Order: sequence, then C-alpha cells, then structure tokens
Amino acid sequence: MTQQSIETSPEEQRALERFYFHEARLLDARQYQDWLALVSEDIQYLMPSRTNLMVDNRQRGSQDMISVERELEDADSMGCPIREETYIHLMVRVERAYKMNSWSENPPARTRRLVGNIELMAQDGETLNVLSNFHLYYARPGSEDCVYSGQRRDQLVPDGDESFSLHRREVIMDYADIVYPTLGLLF
Amino acid sequence: MPVKVQDLVNEDASLVSRRCWSDQYVYELEKKGIFGKAWLFLGHESQIRNPGDFVQAYMCETPIILARGSDGKVHANVNSCTHRGLPVCRADHGNAKRFVCPYHSWSYTVEGDLVTIPQESEVCNKPDKSQLGLKKVPRVESWRGLIFGSFDEEIIPLEDYLGDMRFYLDAFLDRFPGGIEFMGAPHRWVLNANWKLPVENQLGDVNHGAFLHAAIIPREAQALIEELGYSVVTAPGHGATFRLMPEDSPIDDVAWGMEGMGGMFGGDEVQNYLRDLQAGAAQRVGDIRSRMKGLTYGVYPNLSFLWSNTSFKVSHPRGPGKVEYWSWAVVPADAPDPIKKIMRTNYSSFFGPGGMLEQEDSEVWVQQFLGSNIDFADDHPYFYGLGLGEEKPHAQLPGLVSVTANEFYARHFFARWRDELQAVEGQL
Repeated sequence: MTQQSIETSPEEQRALERFYFHEARLLDARQYQDWLALVSEDIQYLMPSRTNLMVDNRQRGSQDMISVERELEDADSMGCPIREETYIHLMVRVERAYKMNSWSENPPARTRRLVGNIELMAQDGETLNVLSNFHLYYARPGSEDCVYSGQRRDQLVPDGDESFSLHRREVIMDYADIVYPTLGLLF
Repeated sequence: MPVKVQDLVNEDASLVSRRCWSDQYVYELEKKGIFGKAWLFLGHESQIRNPGDFVQAYMCETPIILARGSDGKVHANVNSCTHRGLPVCRADHGNAKRFVCPYHSWSYTVEGDLVTIPQESEVCNKPDKSQLGLKKVPRVESWRGLIFGSFDEEIIPLEDYLGDMRFYLDAFLDRFPGGIEFMGAPHRWVLNANWKLPVENQLGDVNHGAFLHAAIIPREAQALIEELGYSVVTAPGHGATFRLMPEDSPIDDVAWGMEGMGGMFGGDEVQNYLRDLQAGAAQRVGDIRSRMKGLTYGVYPNLSFLWSNTSFKVSHPRGPGKVEYWSWAVVPADAPDPIKKIMRTNYSSFFGPGGMLEQEDSEVWVQQFLGSNIDFADDHPYFYGLGLGEEKPHAQLPGLVSVTANEFYARHFFARWRDELQAVEGQL
C-alpha cells in the first residue's frame, strides 16, 4: 500500500470522520444496538490471524520480505483467521451484551477508543475503501487493563442520510502474543 | 515448608486443594512428574507433509521444533542452541534446510544435527560436532497423524498410552477417508490461569454449558445433552463426552459439522458434503460410533479435542498462574478448499481468542485462579464429588461410563495427577 490516499474535500473528509467518531462513541457508550444499525446485513467482519514466518530467501532485500501482508492468515488463505463473521454473528454478539449472564461482560468493560489516520484509499462506484487506525483502552473489574491497537480496512457505502453503512471490515490487530482477555470485541 | 501431595487430593479425589492450582512447588512437581514423563502432543502430520517442513511446539515450557527430515521421518528437537541456548528457529512454521542461531551462526539440519561452527577454523582442537546437535526428544511416535513426544525414554508405546481412547478418537478421525488437516498456525493466547482448568473444561465438563454460556446456549440444547449424553473415562486422565443419537435420527441431526455456524449457514454445498460423510460413516466406523456426536475429549495430560466445534487444543503451562492456550481448526483433509474455509468457522465463531463462547471460558479460568490463590481458605478444598461412584462399565462402550453431570472424569484425572506427583515428591 504505497499509494497516497485519494484527495478528499474538507467536507468529504469531515463526513468520514463524523461517521467514525459517532461509531466510536456508540461503542464506548455500549450502545451496541445503535451501532448495529450502522452495519449492512451483508457485512463481512474479518480479523486475520497474525503469524511469524521465516524469511523467504528469494525475497531477501525486497519489500515483500518484511511486508505486513505476508504475516496475515486472512479469509482468502488456507490458514485460520481469528474471526470471519456475518451479520448473524454480530447480531448475536450485540444481543449477548444485553444479557446479565454474559459473564465476560458482567461487569462490563470500560473502553475508550481513539480513531485516527482516516484515509480514503479507493472509490468503486458507491463503495468507499477507507483505512483507519485505532487504540482502544480496556479496563474491566477482575481483569488486567490492556490496550488494543490495530488498523481497520473498511468498505463503506453512503446510506443516503449523510452517513454511511459498513459493508466490510477487516481488523488487522497488532499483537505478538495474544495477551488480551478476548479478541471478540466490536472493534 | 512445601505442601505435601497427600494433603492436596483426598483418597477418592472428591476434594481438591486450592494449592493444586496456585502453588509454585506443586508446579515444579508437575514438571518433573508429569511433563517430564508423559506423551505430550506436538502436532499433526498434515502440518509437516514435505521434507524440511517444520512447526513450533512446546513440551510444557520447553520449545520444540517438530520437523519432517530429509529422510521423510518426523523429528522433534529442543529449540535451543547447544552453544549459548538461543532458539535457533523463530518462525511459527515454514520449510527449512538449516536452522541458524543468530548469535554465532552455528547451524543445524532440520533433523537437529550440528553442521557448522563458523569459528571452528580458527582453533586447533576441533569440537566433535556429532556430539553437539540439538537435544532430541528421545521418544516421538504418531498415531492417526497425531504426533506425540516424550522425555521419558522408557515410556510405554503411544498406542498403549492412548489405549481405549483410540476407540473414541477414531469415531471422529476414521470417518474421513483422507484423514484430517490442521488449518494454519495455531491461535495461541496467554491467560492468567492454571493450565489444568482448560484441560478439565474439555475433559468432561460439558455441564457448565447451559449455565456459564446461557447467553448463547439455549437450555433446550443442554436438555438434549442430558438426555443423550455420555461421559466416558477410558483411563484416568483420558475422557470423552458425546451424544449417542437414536438409530432413527434424521441425518442432519447426527452428521458431524451441521451444528456449527459454518454448517448451519454454509449453504447446500457444505451441507450435502456433510450428509455424504455421514452416509458413509457407519461403514467406516461401525453403527454405534457413526451415531456418536461428540462434545469434548481429553488426552492426559494437556491435549483436548472439541469435536462439536472441531478444534484441537493444547494447554501449555507457563507457571502455576499462567497458561498459553493453543488451538487449531481441524477439517477433513480431502474436503474441497471452499468447504474447508467454511468449516473452519465452526471453530472460530465460538472458540479461539475471538470466539463467542471462549470469551466466557477464558473469563472463568482467570477468575478460578484468583480463587485458588487466596489465603485462609485451605480448609475449604474444592468439591469434586458430584456422582461419586456412579460410573459403571458399559456393554458397547469401552471404559467407565456415566451421565455427563458425574465429575468422575476430573476425579480420575486428579487421582492420577496426585499419584504421579507423589512418585517424584522426594526428588526435587
């Protein structure tokens, strides 16, 4: 991904920011039903697994040798992504949060996420390919605090109401060992 | 004063001390008495099909390279340079001709033999390289593609160690004409929990399902487990739980894979594939085993197989209060790639570090360690007495058999655990 983002007008960039900041606020305020309303029913919600590979001798000295992509076991690979979810999965996750016997959320975590580096990378018809980064602070009684860090590769479609709906999200988590209580949050 | 093993687990193992889960001395005994002696799971042959293929593994905290040698055989070596101890392999998996230590570039073959010492040419007395290979795991054997290693040269053969557990493992493994395949690198995550609780959870504890996981698993599903469920202990520490479906069950109710997210929502191609497999199951594994719909399995000490969501798991200790839990999605090796991709979500939707059910399990494993590490409550050991003495032999199922609420799987585990720790108690 060496190319620059598409040049956006201040209004276009502001519309993207507005969507992402709204989404972040809903998730941190635990308004998951409202968050789900931002999600398209044909969504693919993906999280590749991240592996440590050998240096491929043929790639020595090249950019490919150290690329992020080669570390990912993603949906196209014959490895095993950590999450490959549909709307049904997300719906179950959201409904779960409102049940008192969802013990890993009871008491619920206090989260605060910062979303930044929002870049429109491509536009295909109505579909916008947008990158963003996040840091998510997570504190839960009975659990160790942690910080999640990652990149989101989204496909957004304008919903005709000055906002967007989320059609695809691939979350690239930055971890060496997974030391988080769960990677099952809504990122 | 270190604790005494006889004070940790009572005679019938219905009472288990909190110290079993939290004491450093007990952990040292576990290393010596269990992990230094047992057959430990290293990997599956599907991960290392070609000469030079390797994966990482662990035997307790000891890192292992599991590799296919140029001789076509499986080799397991400790991943630690004979010169200064660094790991000579840093990748999770791959294909290699040599492993090279970063520090002084001593290099080893995938079989573990030392090939070069770059500094050697500058000294007069040449070291005997044949004596300086990586430490070999002295016993490595595989059964049905499952590779195990042991540090005990005298250990009984793997097939004898697995014993009647093979009957239950085969109910799954032998269904697939081409065997099974482990997909990708393991998901591995670190929890502040003791290694034995994930093991116990998969060994036979299906009765937490409708309670801990009530937000996801409906009570009716648990009712079906109670009605059709069996819990079996083939030898202390080995166990299987499954539903034995009635003979007239519709094929979709019996077939492996149908009850996961991939099976349920994967479409006709996947479902017809699963029906075809089920249609051939009786011929491959016999009538009774073709009607088995597995839940969870355990192989002593720390291998688990979650049949219902088709995942192999290993609980690697990292101290009394820390575990590195590994899991793989498992699929039939000869399934078409698109079907494999859908079937892996039977695992990842609910299990693994992002799984909806696993997040509850991880939570209680961490909380259980907190409870095990408190003071002033040693006169209240944990109660493991549910169903005490109610397990019996069965005409068609090898081992001791009972209802799933009977905690005999855990009592047998802890009786063996206690005896194996006692055998090394004076040796630390």
